[in-house]
Order: sequence, then structure tokens, then C-alpha cells
Amino acid sequence: MQRISRFLPVVLLLIGALVVFGGCAKKPVAEPTAEPTTDTDALRGDDLALTEQPDETIYVEPGSGVFEDIHFEFDQYRIASSDEPILQRIARWLKENEDVRVLIEGHCDERGTNEYNMALGEQRALAARRYMVGIGVAAERLSTISYGEEQPLDSASTEEAWSKNRRDHFTVSE
Amino acid sequence: MRTCRPILGLAVALGVLLVGATPAAAPEVHLSITKGFGEKVIVAVPLFHGSAGSASTRDMRSVLSDDLRNSGYFSVVENLAFVDETEADDRRAGRVAFAEWLALGGEVLVKGDVAVSGQELTLEAQVYDLGQGRSIFARRYVGQPAQWRAAVHQLADDIVQHLTGEQGIARSKIAFVSNVTGTKEIYTMDYDGENIRRITKDGLAAMFPAWFSDNSTIAYTRYRGNGQEAVAVNVGSGVIRRLTTFPGLNAFVSASPKGNELVMTLSRDGNPEIYRLRSDGSEPRRLTYGPSTESSPCWSPDGRRVAFVSDRSGAPQIYVMSAAGGAEERMTYQGSYNTSPSWSPKGDLIAYTARVEGVFQVCTVDVETNDVVRLTTGGGNKEDPSWAPDGRHVVYSVRSQRKSDLYMLDIYDLVPGRLTSGAGDHISPAWSH
Repeated sequence: MQRISRFLPVVLLLIGALVVFGGCAKKPVAEPTAEPTTDTDALRGDDLALTEQPDETIYVEPGSGVFEDIHFEFDQYRIASSDEPILQRIARWLKENEDVRVLIEGHCDERGTNEYNMALGEQRALAARRYMVGIGVAAERLSTISYGEEQPLDSASTEEAWSKNRRDHFTVSE
Repeated sequence: MRTCRPILGLAVALGVLLVGATPAAAPEVHLSITKGFGEKVIVAVPLFHGSAGSASTRDMRSVLSDDLRNSGYFSVVENLAFVDETEADDRRAGRVAFAEWLALGGEVLVKGDVAVSGQELTLEAQVYDLGQGRSIFARRYVGQPAQWRAAVHQLADDIVQHLTGEQGIARSKIAFVSNVTGTKEIYTMDYDGENIRRITKDGLAAMFPAWFSDNSTIAYTRYRGNGQEAVAVNVGSGVIRRLTTFPGLNAFVSASPKGNELVMTLSRDGNPEIYRLRSDGSEPRRLTYGPSTESSPCWSPDGRRVAFVSDRSGAPQIYVMSAAGGAEERMTYQGSYNTSPSWSPKGDLIAYTARVEGVFQVCTVDVETNDVVRLTTGGGNKEDPSWAPDGRHVVYSVRSQRKSDLYMLDIYDLVPGRLTSGAGDHISPAWSH
């Protein structure tokens, strides 16, 4: 968690950069056209001294599994266009780290039935997998697992907690 | 290997022997007592005579009376003081005073003699038709003293069988998932909530238990490493065998009525679809196609069809198809969230979970007419209905105050009875066959 929070400002900044440079968000293409900028000013003072690293490894330390979650509407498994840059970034990272795989965990909020949420969580993971395969990632490098409603990030019964819990979480699996 | 440690006791519990049968006869429906729909046969149950060792004869009577009431076919003469007085008179006089039992309101009388000798408990039961003034059947049940409940349950099922021709549920079991140890594991209990036994100890988050048709084995899904696997645990020995370990979902196993095949949900081809496999998990054959989610399959009792959930209409609904694939037909049209189908062993109804005004309730849909009946009301989400072998009772979970427990109800009177309590959640019930 600590690692995530330290990365968060950088990640948010770069999402912003991707959104601004846009263009690739609507139509998945083999090579994402949005190039992240290297904004050394914004990074100065960060205690991780990330300014020295190449662009792509700024947001994801290989092996660390620090990818952002993507989120879903209630009872849906469509990828939000605002989450596409996250998937594009993971895809690009996978291209540059050829010996690793990513495990996509699909999660649901508590409001569905246990049983159906297990299927829905799998659909959410598969939706991210389909998207990344569509932009050139080899299918066998992306495995899926559904946790249904078994592992909420926030166990409160509020809209805020539910929207946090309806997510795909990405980890580097080997 | 911890997962393979035998679970002692369960096989013994199921092994209450039926030794004598006088007058010897194959079970035959006793037709002299006929009742209209919803009317109950009134049974007098005097205290059993003799000593049951550590078990009390009062407990035995109470279990038998509950079994008879729970069957849905019987009510029990409530005035126990008069019942026991009449029984004392009978014993003294060495006869059955049919007129006096009739005067108490009874139509059927169950008398028992119980004795314990060494490690053997014997229960001899005599069941009388009071109106006809004659014996319906007499049987002797022998088992270990600790298994007295099983003996009484067997007697209750024999009474149901003789008087109604229907299969009783008193000897049936309910498998479920509990997280009371901190991890979800599979447990079984008697149909009345007694005799809880932990079946799995693998610490791998067990889900979705389902009985094989011979009640020896329970299939379930668990997490292992970065994946799911479907496995089957033998409830007598605790031995676990692997069914499937495909990438993605390995969930919702339903064993065919003959026990030689499974249907389940796999996502190995990139989408959750329904597959039919051999009972060892081999030779998966895909039954559904398309981009939607196909899930939660269960067999019809004749093994010819499969009910399942699909969101092809944009929201999860119950469908039925041929067990060979194809001939798909939508069953539910009310509401926008219908999941977890369970096909009645009688074949006529499918029970399922429906979202009604924001709360999950248990409903049934008639397979022929698509008529929907709602079985539950009130707050608290009810999930995962499973039919008893009599096709009359349904068990389901209720979530209330952040805790889940199991309840059962008779679809003809709709009065829920609570089966579990205590710490932890009790979910995903599966009634044995």
C-alpha cells in the first residue's frame, strides 16, 4: 500500500498526460499513440528520484505489481474509456518485459448474488484481457481469476465502497 | 496430506441398519387415510418405552415429532400429558385402546420401545392406523447409541413413505459453506440443522458445494495458487479428487442424476460458458456459445435438460436448454436479476434468487407455464435455494445484520424455519438427493 501511495502522484500525473494526448482512447490500436511526457519538474523532489528512469518504468516497477485498478458500473463489465489508458500502459509494459505475465483479478461489490458475482467478476477480468489482446498482447500472457464479492477493498455498504470494489486488479504473476 | 484425512463418523451415522420388518412387506402406500390438499394427518407420539442410554426418550420423541411436522404431511397431538397417560394405560393393560387414542384426536399412533445393550441401540416401532384399528407397519432399527437421531429419522421417513408414498427428508443432509474458522470450508448437517460436521480443512476458500447423486461426494470450487479448481470430496473418507483446473472459472458443478456426468461453468475459451463433462472432469464439451455470460447450470431430474443463467438479454435471467446443447428457452421475464437456479426433483419447478424491490427473494418458476411464485418476503437477502429430495422443501441463505444463516421452508405453507445460528456465515446450501 505504501508503495502505491508513493507512486500515486506520478501515476495520476501521467494519466492526465495520456488523457490530454488522447486519441487512442476510443479505438484500440497495436501501438498506443499517446506518448507519456517526461515532466521532470513535476517529479523533482520525489523521494524515489524517479526522474532518472526511462519513461515506461516510471509508473510500474517491474515485478512490483503496481498497476492501477480499473472500475466498472454496477452489474456491468464494459471497460470505461477513461480506464483504457491504464490497460494500454500495462500492455506496453508487457511488451517491454517479455518474461512476465499479468494476472487479472475481477472483483464485484456485495450487491449481486454470490453465485452470479463469481461469473461477473470473471467477465470483468476477461473484458480487460480482451482489450489488451486487441492491442497486441499475447493472450497466454494474461490470466484471469474471479474473486466475485469475496475480497472487497472496502467492506462498507456505501456507494463509495461499492464503486471501489467493482474493479479489476492487476498483478505480475511471474 | 491434511486434506486427505478421513472424516470419521459420517459413514457410521449413515449406517443405521434396518433389521427386522414385521409384518414384512415392501413399502406400500397406506391408503385408508386420505387428506385434501394442505390437510395434515394427526399423529400421536407417546414417550418411547425403555431406556436409550445417554440419549433421552424425550429427545427421541421430540425429534420424531419435529420430523413428522417438518415433512409437511403431519401434525402431532399436542396434549402430551393425556398422550402419556393413555400410553401408560395401554402398557398396563397390554393392548392398544384405539377408541381412546381416537378421542385424543389422533389418526395415526407411533409407539416405540428402545433399549441399549453394549454398543448397540435398538428401537422397535409400531405404527397404527387408529381409524382402522390395525397396525400399518412395525420395524426395528439398530445402530450405535450415539446415532440415535439417525434411527429416529429413519423411522420418520418410513412413516412418511408408508402413509404418503413420498420420499421423506428426515435422513437427508445439507452441505453448506461456513467461514467460522476464518476460511470458507465445506460442512454438512442433518436436514434439521443438527449434527454439523466439517468436511474440508484445506484452507483454500471453498465455494458452491453440490452433491453427487449417490450422496457420497460433494463437488466444490476452491482457490489454489493463482487459479480456481473444481474438486470433489468424499464425505466419508475426506479424500479429495481434482475435477478441473482450467484457466479462469472452474465453478458451479452440478452432477447428473445418474452421477456419470457434470455440467459446470468454465471460461477457458475466453468467455463464461456451460460445459458438460464426465464425472471425473474429463472430456469437456461446450454447450453454449455467444458473447454473453452463461453460468450456474443445473440438471433437470430426468437428465435431459439443464437450467442456467444468462445475461444475453442485458440482465441475468433463468434459461433452460437441452442437456445436449441447443433448444434454449427463457424461463423468467419478471425483474432484472434472476440467478441461482435449482431444479425441483419433481421436475415441475425451478427455484431461483430474484431481486424484488432491491431485496433478493426466493421464487419458483413453473417450467411448463413460466408462472412465477414468490416464496419469501421481508428484508434480508435470500440466496442460493436448493431443493430437498421431496420436491417440497427448499433451503436458502438469509443475510441479516451482516451475518448469513440457513433457513428452510415448505413451499405449501411458506413458513421459514431457521437451521443455523452461532458465529460465522452459513451460505451456499446444497440439499442431498
